[in-house]
Amino acid sequence: MAATWRLIYNPDADIADIPAVPAALAAGRRAGRFLPARFNHPDTIVIQEIRGKGILAGADVNVDAREAAKNGISIAAAPSAAGRRAPRPAGTLRLEDITARAPAACTAAACDPDDPAVILYTSGTTGMPKGVMLSHRNFHAQCSGIVARVFPMRPDDRLTGVLPLYHVYALANGLVASVYFGAALCLIPQYSPALLLDTIAATRSTILFAIPAMYMNLLTLARVRRTGIPHTLRLCVSGGAPLPRTVLAEFENVFHARIAEGYGLTETTSAVCLNGSGECCTPGSIGPAAPGVEMKIVDDNGCALPDGRTGEIVIRSAVVTRGYWNNPQETAAVLRDGWLHTGDIGFRDRDGCFFITDRKKDLIIRGGFNISPREVEELLATHAAVQEAAVIGVTDKRGEETVKAFVVLKPGASVGGKTLIEYCSMHLAPYKVPKMIEFRDALPRSAAGKILKKELRAGYVDMRLMRQGETAPEGGNG
Amino acid sequence: MAEIPSLGAMLEETARKLSRKEALIFDGHTISYRELEEQAGRTANALAALGIQKGDRVAIMLPNIPEFVYTFYGLQKLGAVAVPFNTMYKGREITHILNDSGAKAIVALTGCANLINEIKTDVPGLEHVILTGQRTLAFAQEGATVFVQMVLDEGRFKSADAVFSAIGAVVAAALKNLGVEDAWYKHQGAVRSGGKKIGSILLSTFENLFIVNALVFLDSLDADSFFRAVWVPPELKDKVLEPVTSVREQTGTVVTSEAFRDAFTEEFRRQLDADVVPGSLGAIERFAYRKIRKRPGGK
Repeated sequence: MAATWRLIYNPDADIADIPAVPAALAAGRRAGRFLPARFNHPDTIVIQEIRGKGILAGADVNVDAREAAKNGISIAAAPSAAGRRAPRPAGTLRLEDITARAPAACTAAACDPDDPAVILYTSGTTGMPKGVMLSHRNFHAQCSGIVARVFPMRPDDRLTGVLPLYHVYALANGLVASVYFGAALCLIPQYSPALLLDTIAATRSTILFAIPAMYMNLLTLARVRRTGIPHTLRLCVSGGAPLPRTVLAEFENVFHARIAEGYGLTETTSAVCLNGSGECCTPGSIGPAAPGVEMKIVDDNGCALPDGRTGEIVIRSAVVTRGYWNNPQETAAVLRDGWLHTGDIGFRDRDGCFFITDRKKDLIIRGGFNISPREVEELLATHAAVQEAAVIGVTDKRGEETVKAFVVLKPGASVGGKTLIEYCSMHLAPYKVPKMIEFRDALPRSAAGKILKKELRAGYVDMRLMRQGETAPEGGNG
Repeated sequence: MAEIPSLGAMLEETARKLSRKEALIFDGHTISYRELEEQAGRTANALAALGIQKGDRVAIMLPNIPEFVYTFYGLQKLGAVAVPFNTMYKGREITHILNDSGAKAIVALTGCANLINEIKTDVPGLEHVILTGQRTLAFAQEGATVFVQMVLDEGRFKSADAVFSAIGAVVAAALKNLGVEDAWYKHQGAVRSGGKKIGSILLSTFENLFIVNALVFLDSLDADSFFRAVWVPPELKDKVLEPVTSVREQTGTVVTSEAFRDAFTEEFRRQLDADVVPGSLGAIERFAYRKIRKRPGGK
């Protein structure tokens, strides 16, 4: 016999009806169990469409009610996932349930210092993310060797944790270091400039690790607000990408804080260099190697180059990874004779400060000439209408590599591609001048603020798409 | 040379020396080092009870919330390997990381249940999906979204898998009937067209009931206005949401929720050999509905 289902069609719902109707059905079913059979409710299908716009948000989602109202959006609370009486997605466990039943006492297992404690996947310039193994020794060396000496923390420090903890910068210098030194970590789950500024003020934070875009946004917001700017920060570190000097100077002035610029990789458990602020600062540099870190510049054969000569930056230190998980090939390619080959191109000056001039794999070669995308990007950024630019090599009709620029304009600014090309022609050798300019609202960035150039390239495969019949990518080699 | 402490031992040492000192500050609350140590211990013991051992990899897909820290240090206490990764990763990226690392479990936000369920069949080594947090977020818009929800007796289908398969097939077929020719259902996850998500299906269990929450996109959302209310850095906007498409974008024709309802019920009747009878809330349900709507946040 065919089963009978009830259909409730509600085309005039409001956003609160979306969870309320099924919750009412579930409540009815529960009550029905204690009532005579005629009160039993059938299995039910509900089809609902809301009028206008709505947001259904869990208790921890930060929705700006004023902006929502301005945009004609109503807000309703998503059903709580907490508590034993809440529906639970099929086939899953709830962390709160399994931990509530578990005892609190647990002594840390003995570990070999070289055992991996963490595997962090890095995007790289091409291909699938690789898993960088970081050991207990790596983290300990970062805390006791680098943080302790370059930006020491104290138990009375409060760090603002705005960068995602899945990134090495926040994980090693934020979470693990704050636990090591007994400092407090103020967690921000969802970044917005206002929330960051308010958190620094409310928690009287003393340390901030952030990326250039966040410093820029904080500064913009501080200019608007003018009052209530916190002056508690004693140490700020910017990393991920270079911070424009003008922003740095104004930020230090407005926030009464110093910003040091850090340099590090996932493969080095975060920071290995710090360009101090004030008199210790060498503009444009990433600073000298931190204590306990050996850094040098080598040529393509791995031979050390004298100061002033450009080559690849290589690093040897207890913070350097033992390699990539399940990937001996990639490991052998970057770790040679105990030195990590960073792929960053630069030089060292006479004072021992390092400068990065490019990425090894990011070079464009046209007609045998090497073109540094960074050089073209920096020139474009000096144009009054340009906020930022990213330059890549693309293959033209003749199969030759040519320069293409992606440009984001400053708010309200307007300029044509032709004008920008003319501007470049005035300042660059002809082979370096972009042949193509594409305007974008924003450049694709990683969580650490790095521009994801691979996403700008033609033929870029969006890994978020799923097609029928497509097999999942292969697992590791092991 | 002094012995090198493990990350788990580092927490124990700080918790011993500074037990009452604040370790974490989150949402106006402070969590002391003693509390952090206890929560990490509970998490370690809970994971151990699930079979997680020293050296095992466990993925963490969480934003900066205390549960990230509890899970991270819980794993460190066990000598297990934490695999934290970008919360904006989607489908194949997550599949790659889980397979490559050989993760036995993943701890993620409740709102990611759909995403993880969908790839679970491609990650045979993943034994446990552990969810936390209240960060569900859904956008609804007149003409653009239609919600299909079901409340049914657990005994109606053989298993959760069977419910997923049945409802997924019905939604995909209904969309095909509406002209989305390449609509297909990825088991336990989303209905897709052109690689993008056009509908999602979430199945929950509650006492002896299955609760289905499906969402289908009939037209494109005015995403900009939603992102003014839920602030997201502009460069990350297209990474926050999965790539989404809609019936109108795929077919060029506007489909109403009424037309969708008819296509859905027709397929439902046909595929499940069911009678579908229009109805409304009964007296007890209406009473419950009013009570629910009166709760804070209910309206």
